[in-house]
Amino acid sequence: MHYFRQVAVVAFKDLRAELRTKEAINASLAFSIVILLLFSFAFDPSEETMREISGGLLWIVFAFAGTLMLNRSFARELPNDCLDALIAAPLPASALFLGKCLANYVLVLAVELVSLPVFGIFYNVHWARQFPELLLVLLLGTWALTIIGTIFSALTVNIKLREVMLPMLTYPILIPALMSAMQLTTALVGGTPIGADNVDSLKMLIGFDIVFTAVSLVLVETVLVG
Amino acid sequence: MRDALFAFFGSGAPVAMAAAVVALAGSVVFLRTRNFLYDALALAATKTGFAMLAAALAAGVLWSRTAAGIWWTWDTRLTTALVCGLVYAAYLMLRCAIEEPTERATSAAVVSVFAFLDVPLAAISIAWWRARRTLPPEAAPPGWSTLASWNALAMLLVAAALTVILLRREERRRARDAERRAALTL
Repeated sequence: MHYFRQVAVVAFKDLRAELRTKEAINASLAFSIVILLLFSFAFDPSEETMREISGGLLWIVFAFAGTLMLNRSFARELPNDCLDALIAAPLPASALFLGKCLANYVLVLAVELVSLPVFGIFYNVHWARQFPELLLVLLLGTWALTIIGTIFSALTVNIKLREVMLPMLTYPILIPALMSAMQLTTALVGGTPIGADNVDSLKMLIGFDIVFTAVSLVLVETVLVG
Repeated sequence: MRDALFAFFGSGAPVAMAAAVVALAGSVVFLRTRNFLYDALALAATKTGFAMLAAALAAGVLWSRTAAGIWWTWDTRLTTALVCGLVYAAYLMLRCAIEEPTERATSAAVVSVFAFLDVPLAAISIAWWRARRTLPPEAAPPGWSTLASWNALAMLLVAAALTVILLRREERRRARDAERRAALTL
């Protein structure tokens, strides 16, 4: 239980720091609204087009806005040697990593849950028809995005081209999770529940989450300490 | 002639898979032993695999243009090759972005592990995605499998030779770097 208390301490520290300044969450929210607006200019959304592309559009918005937030998660610790202090602190590196992941998860989920109604308003889509299942897909997909983004944020924190390398590393590795989440979201926003033809994508999402969470927790010590 | 060319370059894809396994082995052994020889092996294997994958992609694009009339059919093997190529391209870019050798080797080894785990997941996802959409059926030249296996064997030997050459070159570069650092500190 001591481990989970350490995780909670780090998570609440990050959340408190972010909610006091609200820099990243404001930027992320504004960015997601701008992308949704740009896409509505890009093509003329009719009913059928909207139903087909809803999942893809939503997850592109979430991935880009999320990366904006995840870039800052370890970069925030660079001034005043805070990162060195955290690594030297008597808590396991995996607890530090998990705490940061949880804080990022809450923040990215908040941005997503605000973007969904905006999407519904701009494109005139009833997105809440299968809301519990949509929420499940959001939770699983956002965890995939968060875990990959946070481990690569830790990896790229000291590189001079950090803002370029993080998206370049994250998006190709996220492709299986994003494809599954997009397919499930398109189906759910269109009103069809998760049935026999969709459950494979759900299994892929869950499998992706489990595999990469395990690998990240094992390798984060190497990444942070060297 | 066209089919022979496609079989020759297109068989680079299974060789790239073998190179990815070698790169993973090199990365994992490096993380355990911190011996830079294994880091050089991982880099050499990834560069060779990436070159093979690029050749296979070019062959696939040209073949689909001449056979099906369009430049990019969303063929399962072609799309998987592209995604894996992007993942390993990120590995190579990361190596260029970090100056310090130990940090570069460690970070690159971690990315290599992630990249290798992502390859089967991406292959399965793309196969499912393709099965869901209505797309032109996948086509390959006739007599493809026997031609491809022999060519794959040949390409494997070429790739092994290239890996050894790149490994030696990386080792020499590292030795030169170490001498330069020693000279600067004196």
